[in-house]
Amino acid sequence: MAAGGGGVADPLSPAGVPCAFSPQSQAYFALASTDGHLRVWETANNRLHQEYVPSAHLSGTCTCLAWAPARLQAKETPQRKKRKSEAIGTSNQTDLLALGTAVGSILLYSTVKGELHSKLISGGHDNKVNCIQWHQDNGYLYSCSDDKHIVEWNTQTCKVKCKWKGDNSSVSSLCISPDGKMLLSAGRTIKLWVLETKEIYRHFTGHATPVSSLLFTTIRPPNESQPFDGITGLYFLSGAVHDRLLNVWQVRSENKEKNAVMSFTVTDEPVYIDLTLSENKEEPVKLAVVCKDGQVHLFEHILNGYCKKPLTSNCTIQIATPGKGKKSTPKPIPILAAGFCSDKMSLLLVYGNWFQPTIERVALNSKESHVCLVRDISNCWAPKVETAITKVRTPVMNSEAKVLVPGIPGHQAAIKPALPQTEEIENKRKLGENEVSIEERLGALDIDTRKEKDDLPQTNSFPVLLAQGLESNDFEMLNKVLQTRNLNLIKRTVLRMPLHAVIPLLQELTKRLQGHPNSAVLMVQWLKCVLTVHASYLSTLPDLVPQLGTLYQLMESRVKTFQKLSHLHGKLILLITQVTASEKTKGTTCPAQKAKLVYEEESSEEESDDEIADKDSDENWDEEDEEEKESIKDEDVDEENEEEDEDTEEKDEENGEDRDVASEKELNGDSDLDPENESEEE
Amino acid sequence: MVEQERVRVVRCGGSELNFRRAVFSADSKYIFCVSGDFVKVYSTATEECVHILQGHRNLVTGIQLNPNNHLQLYSCSFDGTIKLWDYVDGILIKTFIVGHKLHALFTVARAEDSVFVTINKEKPDIFQLVSVKLPKSSSQEIESKELSFVLDYINQSPKYIAFGNEGEYVAAVRDFYLSVYFFKKKTTSRFTLSSSRNKKHAKNNFTCVACHPKEDCIATGHKDGKIRLWRNFDDDKKYTYTCLHWHHDMVMDLAFSVTGTSLLSGGRESVLVEWRDAAEKNKEFLPRLGATIEHISVSPAGDLFCTSHSDNKIIVIHRNLEASAVIQGLVKDSNIFTGLMIDPRTKALVLNGKPGHLQFYSLQSDKQLYNLDIVQQEYINDYGLIQIELTKAAFGCYGNWLATVEQRQEKETELELQMKLWMYNKKTQGFVLNTKVNMPHEDHITALCFCNAEKSENPTLVTASKDGHFKVWILTDDSDIYKKAVGWTCDFVVSFEEIVTIWDSETWELKCTFCQRAGKIRHLCFGRLTCSKYLLGATENGILCCWNLLSCALEWSAKLNVRVMEPDLNSENIAAISHSSMGSDLFVFKPSEPRPLYIQKNISREEVQWGVFVPRDVPESFTSEAYQWLNRSQFYFLTKSQSLLTLSTKSPEEKLTPTSKQLLAEESLPTTPFYFILGKHRQQQDEKLNAALENELVQLPLTENIPAISELLHTPAHVLPSASFLCSMFVNSLLLSKESKSAEEIPDDVDMEEEKERDDSDEENDFTEKVQDTDNTDLGEDIIHQLSKSEEKELRKFRKVDYSWITAL
Repeated sequence: MAAGGGGVADPLSPAGVPCAFSPQSQAYFALASTDGHLRVWETANNRLHQEYVPSAHLSGTCTCLAWAPARLQAKETPQRKKRKSEAIGTSNQTDLLALGTAVGSILLYSTVKGELHSKLISGGHDNKVNCIQWHQDNGYLYSCSDDKHIVEWNTQTCKVKCKWKGDNSSVSSLCISPDGKMLLSAGRTIKLWVLETKEIYRHFTGHATPVSSLLFTTIRPPNESQPFDGITGLYFLSGAVHDRLLNVWQVRSENKEKNAVMSFTVTDEPVYIDLTLSENKEEPVKLAVVCKDGQVHLFEHILNGYCKKPLTSNCTIQIATPGKGKKSTPKPIPILAAGFCSDKMSLLLVYGNWFQPTIERVALNSKESHVCLVRDISNCWAPKVETAITKVRTPVMNSEAKVLVPGIPGHQAAIKPALPQTEEIENKRKLGENEVSIEERLGALDIDTRKEKDDLPQTNSFPVLLAQGLESNDFEMLNKVLQTRNLNLIKRTVLRMPLHAVIPLLQELTKRLQGHPNSAVLMVQWLKCVLTVHASYLSTLPDLVPQLGTLYQLMESRVKTFQKLSHLHGKLILLITQVTASEKTKGTTCPAQKAKLVYEEESSEEESDDEIADKDSDENWDEEDEEEKESIKDEDVDEENEEEDEDTEEKDEENGEDRDVASEKELNGDSDLDPENESEEE
Repeated sequence: MVEQERVRVVRCGGSELNFRRAVFSADSKYIFCVSGDFVKVYSTATEECVHILQGHRNLVTGIQLNPNNHLQLYSCSFDGTIKLWDYVDGILIKTFIVGHKLHALFTVARAEDSVFVTINKEKPDIFQLVSVKLPKSSSQEIESKELSFVLDYINQSPKYIAFGNEGEYVAAVRDFYLSVYFFKKKTTSRFTLSSSRNKKHAKNNFTCVACHPKEDCIATGHKDGKIRLWRNFDDDKKYTYTCLHWHHDMVMDLAFSVTGTSLLSGGRESVLVEWRDAAEKNKEFLPRLGATIEHISVSPAGDLFCTSHSDNKIIVIHRNLEASAVIQGLVKDSNIFTGLMIDPRTKALVLNGKPGHLQFYSLQSDKQLYNLDIVQQEYINDYGLIQIELTKAAFGCYGNWLATVEQRQEKETELELQMKLWMYNKKTQGFVLNTKVNMPHEDHITALCFCNAEKSENPTLVTASKDGHFKVWILTDDSDIYKKAVGWTCDFVVSFEEIVTIWDSETWELKCTFCQRAGKIRHLCFGRLTCSKYLLGATENGILCCWNLLSCALEWSAKLNVRVMEPDLNSENIAAISHSSMGSDLFVFKPSEPRPLYIQKNISREEVQWGVFVPRDVPESFTSEAYQWLNRSQFYFLTKSQSLLTLSTKSPEEKLTPTSKQLLAEESLPTTPFYFILGKHRQQQDEKLNAALENELVQLPLTENIPAISELLHTPAHVLPSASFLCSMFVNSLLLSKESKSAEEIPDDVDMEEEKERDDSDEENDFTEKVQDTDNTDLGEDIIHQLSKSEEKELRKFRKVDYSWITAL
């Protein structure tokens, strides 16, 4: 008796666990694992639908299983037949699952009710059941066993209808012809039986080892000219244990031919075979063969007559783990089963371990001969009880995800002006940009030399440190400077900083503003100072928009509320502070700045012009009363909103300017800001 | 052939499951719930629908097990009938025509031949509880107009009525009072709670009632979250009540466990509370049930509870408060903002699900696949809280990308918007967040669409907003960062109130503008395939326009109040659903010609909100011209009451009941050890019965039964079935051995027992005793005078049993 160990112990039993997709829409996948559990998975969402442990799962493990055709449903009590039935559940529900066991009994399990429906035992097999086939029309069940017999069951009465000896050795596989009138059985040889009379119709040679699978591949004969009797001319496929060839046979009208018509070669013993039936002459048969080595081979072939050479597969599908890190190599994931979907264009793949397989629908559109899918199934190991009940899936939200908030580049792009215009201007400007960089380099030299020379007092060393930090991008140094809370210190530093460092400083500030809000508060003070003190300088820069675009967006998005009020407030503050600042600068002008300006040659024109303009305007504003200044200084305490507003303002205008005609800017040379402010004042 | 191909509207899913309390079968294997015009039978173990009991012509409003035969089920409906079903086979046994609109159904074991229903007679708001006598007759349809009045001025919902202490009294609540009617005394007592307007008592309204199964105790739930336990209510003066208070909001339903030791309550908190021994301190909780608990029911066997929730699901819960199964319909709780979409990957229908989730619903199996948690924030069930809502979602053309928009608006100016872009990770087979965009626009996003040009490998997403901008988001190549640029693809159009603008995707230029003085444009879509030069727009005031994009001219326009317009991805067809006071009509047309291909009037009475074409896996072949548009895709639409409908040519019989062709497999489970014991016993009895009928008087040996009993007693406990099942069997065998003294009585005794067994096992109750029991009456009368009263009573029961098998012998 080959009981107990089930399929594993016997060397000549097919490899792989018994498993099957439910008919029609492949909604379920039933898998009887070697531990005796029957598990039914939902293919659409890869969820364990139910689990059933037969009471005798240890002594009689499941050796084969078959889904009943969809129309066949469990019916419970036998007495009610006379009554007029009004309604019975939905039609396309698949329900009954037949399980053959190692001890010869056959269980019918109802997946709708989740319980054993009936047990076919009396008069059946007394050895391992090798294969079960449902008849597609009348609900009969055919089973074959190691006890050399084939049994025809009537599932309506759960009784044996007929039992006959199928072979001299064990019968390993069965298949019913498409018209339902013939039965193929495979023992030592493959035999075709007439179901009505249980007589042998044809013999075929078969394989050297036990046949593990038999399948009809066509439902119509290749040449339609002859009258079709339901069987003649049809092809069928057989695969066997330890055999890397799948043979195709044709049922011929003459009784002589017993050898295979053609064969398919695969890399290992076939474990699971699925095919799409070809309905006419032109349509090729598609065949998916899962091998013991975990690969799927796909064949596409129009069956037509002999072919001596074994055919190789059109496409091979493999699955592997991604292989984390450099050292670990990707490991193959075995594919357990593969079934064609009803559209014949995609394949359901079942892979992983039989305890918790993953089911995936793969579209078959690639023309490559070898496909390797990389799948990460490491997290599939933990049983997902929680999701099984609530059906909630949580998509991964990891830190790698990019977060875009208003003001961060990418959230909003500057509105681009018409293309041809900008190109011209950019050409012109390229020179200017170069000059700026030269200027910066010179400035850097200058500062370095100066630093070595004199030890300035602390307030004075801040601008130096700042400039140095910006040059070298030294984080520590910048931190030291930028993290001061002393407002006066900030003001003085900004006043004394070299002009060329303004843009780098602003960029640094922008970067920091996007960081933690705590540090952003400090940066806002700096920003406010820089913009008030160096507004005039900034407004002269021709390429301000691309350089400070992000800062502009950042501020714009942050001051959405009370837009007009803050605009007004910002303008006023800008004016007042500039007035006060200019007064102060008159007293203490930074010597360093002047020394630097001497080096400038070309670009000095612009800047000096600005300076002059600046001073001019400053002088104009001198007539301001002192009172007003004070009153607004109080307002100064108001925070960031306003400060940011100034910039908003500023950039608004600049943007507008850019948008209009960029060349105009060059002509105007000086800023729009100052004249406008002036006009407002006056 | 033509006759068969009539297209009809078929309800294909999303039916309501939470309308009334679910009912358990006696063995807790099945659960019944009303669902529209049907009663659905679900298996508690597998969550699968076992049967659909159909036959009612209107909404089913109540179901109850037949107290005299637990394999039968009563149901009542607005169509004025009570139907009796055999739920195991899904067969209608009888129909009782009452005539009134029935609102609720109650059964009481004591009142054997009558049931209680709620009807309203005169005014629309006044309901009465009446008892209906169900006459016995062998015919299928029986008129039962014999109504007797019980209680007046009650609430229509069955939650407000409960029968207590095995039908001794009935308690009904409404507004601020509780009335109890005692059947024996035929008196009503009424208790009123203070309903003053001050704050303390303002929410004293009764919301539900439940009666203790054993004691005289009534539990009532209130609007303020209190539960009151009433005792001594047979006396108008001495009555007392105690308060249990945990719920902070209205108590939605109450239920006592079978033994009455614990009380279950639930409400908006979506926490099931079990009060042990009616004490406030002994509470057990089952939290996080997902949505408001609407109904609670308890299985007669006592091992399972179930809660029906407002999001159209039923949770089956074990006695130890562990959820064991969820029967989930199409989630209906929230508004459908996202519309219907098809996930290109799984071919599932995607729409708003639980709050903050997207639900994936399989149309093939009519089951929810899963809910995708988009918002990922704990949902707080409380009234008046403004939650984050998932407003828009869109799939990239191969399902690789999913874009979702969520919003929360507390006040006019405080709009919180977030757009999330999810990428499908093939390795892990799940969505991974790629980019999160805060405030993508300054105002509500009105439309979200992926560029569906197949050639482009870079996914492009366009969002349009009320702030007057539309933004194009593209995947930047350096890393997984989205960047914004302005521009638009050929295949897309932006419409402002009355103006349609067309933008080119390559150069991001405004191509042309259509202006139609016809009103706000509600829908826009491009023609497909050969009709791609056409653009269709539907306006708010009922005009459907078609523009030719090449000539930039209005091709045609039609007067049609279009509510839904959906293009078919597989063909040139476009479906438009118009709505009028008469109902919704469906028009299918090609943009190239203004004449519709197909018109179906009155597809539903309600307004249709969304529609979608679902490509078929296997193309159908309709030969007639009118239905060819259904060959490649199927059209689904969702009405305002959120029922999902489709068009099908299959007749309803074919679609739902293939009974004629169906092959049924019998159940036979022969070989448990327990069966051998009982089976032997039964076989013996069968033999004896045969012998008895042939008038061969055989002395029943006393000793022969004893081994069977002892065997039964010595069988290990773990192979025994439940004690309740064993009990009757065991007692029967004892009876037999004692009473089989006189030889003449044996046949009758055995006969009786056999029947008893039958009664136990299948509860065959056919009400056709008049015909069949004639051959037994003479025998039966012989015994009656010798038997005790209880036995007499039993015998009377047996008269109802089907004796037809005797003639067969």
